[in-house]
Amino acid sequence: MSKRSKKIISKVIFYIIIVVIFVYMLFPFYWALNSSFKSENQLMQTPATFIPRDIDGNVSFYLENYKAIFRNNTFVLSILNSTLVAGLTTFVALLVGSFAAFALGKLRFRGKKPTLYLILAMTMFPQVTILSGLYAMINTLGLSARPSMIITYLIFTLPFTTWVLTSFFKELPVEIMQSAQVDGATPFQTFYMILLPLTAPALVTTGLLSFIAAWNEYLFALTFTSVEPTARTIPVAIALFSGEIARQEPFGEIMAAAVTVTIPVVILVLIFQRKIVAGLTAGAVKG
Amino acid sequence: MKKRVPQSNLEKNEQKLAFKLLLPALIVLALVAIYPLGDVLFTSFTDIEFAGGDEVETKFIGFENYANLLGITIVELPPVLDENGNQVIDEKTGKPEFERAVRILPRSPNRYKELFQYSWFGKQYVVGARDPVFLESVGNTLIFSFFSVFIETVLGIFIALVVNSNFKGRGALRTTMLVPWAVITVVSARIWEYMLNPGTSGFFNMLMFRLGISDGQTSFLTESFWQMPSMIMVDVWKTTPFMALLILAGLQLIPKELYEAAQVDGAGGFRRFFKITLPLLKPTIAVALVFRTLDALRVFDVFQVLLGKKMYSMASYNYTQLINYRQMGYSSAVGIIIFILIAIFAVIYIRMMGVDSE
Repeated sequence: MSKRSKKIISKVIFYIIIVVIFVYMLFPFYWALNSSFKSENQLMQTPATFIPRDIDGNVSFYLENYKAIFRNNTFVLSILNSTLVAGLTTFVALLVGSFAAFALGKLRFRGKKPTLYLILAMTMFPQVTILSGLYAMINTLGLSARPSMIITYLIFTLPFTTWVLTSFFKELPVEIMQSAQVDGATPFQTFYMILLPLTAPALVTTGLLSFIAAWNEYLFALTFTSVEPTARTIPVAIALFSGEIARQEPFGEIMAAAVTVTIPVVILVLIFQRKIVAGLTAGAVKG
Repeated sequence: MKKRVPQSNLEKNEQKLAFKLLLPALIVLALVAIYPLGDVLFTSFTDIEFAGGDEVETKFIGFENYANLLGITIVELPPVLDENGNQVIDEKTGKPEFERAVRILPRSPNRYKELFQYSWFGKQYVVGARDPVFLESVGNTLIFSFFSVFIETVLGIFIALVVNSNFKGRGALRTTMLVPWAVITVVSARIWEYMLNPGTSGFFNMLMFRLGISDGQTSFLTESFWQMPSMIMVDVWKTTPFMALLILAGLQLIPKELYEAAQVDGAGGFRRFFKITLPLLKPTIAVALVFRTLDALRVFDVFQVLLGKKMYSMASYNYTQLINYRQMGYSSAVGIIIFILIAIFAVIYIRMMGVDSE
């Protein structure tokens, strides 16, 4: 074999690998999309087809699943619930987290190292451990499910935002603070008038990541909404999905719901992909 | 930072401001994490039940919950003898018969149920546990964590290496990697549940049937042989991209000159990988490994959605004890055991990452 043909073969193999990776990562989503356009009969058709077909083999798309999920109040409500819960918890986490991160990243004070260790340890806190404690606390306080979720989601969003924002604050040059101080600004003024606008990109990144984490959360949501079905978030609604049309497990509708809630997040991720990758690696690698 | 008493006014003010800024975060963490943790630790020593309304009197029972969760015993199974005193051999299997474990394991004061059996020098032993389901859930979680993290790491390194080389569509592939990561875990679990459907309406059964591997009737989520591999497969799909992204970030820190120099010296691709890439990637991989392991140890979503009460992870067992059986004290003890297990890994992680305060 000549050197040239060897090179071509290795190039072909390389591109085959790339295609395999592409297919592997997208296939489940494609399968959900495909199944969401199938009627119950088409879903039970064996063997399963790669595009929705009727019994004669003709391509036929069925749109009733999508109509059904938007008539399903629990599902529509769950989108609002998730948006509200994830949005508010992210807002609080960014607010409280940026205060703490400014102190940890730029101010000199005693006890900084233990505080940093505490925050880092908190990012790894297993939420399931305190499930029974939180459940008891919420029941004693008589808190309803939505505020319970917003508050308890701070367990994982707050340490994460604080930790990542601290590293961003650290990287800002000290000279900015010093020159502001020379001009007579108090440290807090320096923080919210000069440093905070500079960290806006970092706020977007960490905000997005904590929003996605809260959007994803299942354990607390399932526990706290167990007696309050109207407060269910998307993961709970989809896990406990009961269909409108189908008699058995309504997979057509579940797949339509899965596609519906995934597309907005995927679009968001595509827009902010560089920031997300930077944020993920900052949270885990840089420290 | 050297420890010293702040002297100037400026430093004093800075110190005060720092405490004021940190206070909200510390209050929130105390309220939602530290206080509940203390509460869980306390209730784990009681027999409190969540009775929803009418209060049942609760007692302090010391380490009883822990003893019930972790208590095991090993008993030798006596052989079954015929009237001549010889051991009975099972006619079908050709194996010697032993007494049934249920009859041998202690029943009082605590009842032990069979966890598994093993033989040692021709003698048959049975390991009994007070709560075999919990110990199995620990075993399941450890097996799940080990295999899923291992596969994710290998696959993650492979994908990161591919993405790190120059080719058309590199940006698109990098973007695609974020799709599984962005899909809600429960949603991904339900998509896979449908793909794993028994009968050829499910994708995997259709595929295996078409390829002639099986009759296309495998129940992946009910046959015990397939349950664990299915869980691992779902998790690997969802989290490999995250692993690959972390490793990719590590790869990009390796200076290109090293490879050029190695190429000049005539080192081949494999040699370059094992002599340059892997050693320099070690810290990144180590951090990613522990990070993922911590995550895998608290796995809940996939187990709860796909297997429910058929098979537990530690977290889904905790949930079931609390919500379905209302055993608050018992569930708290499960929580503390999970906490201790994860804390061990977290300490390793923090050691590796370190904290620099300046």
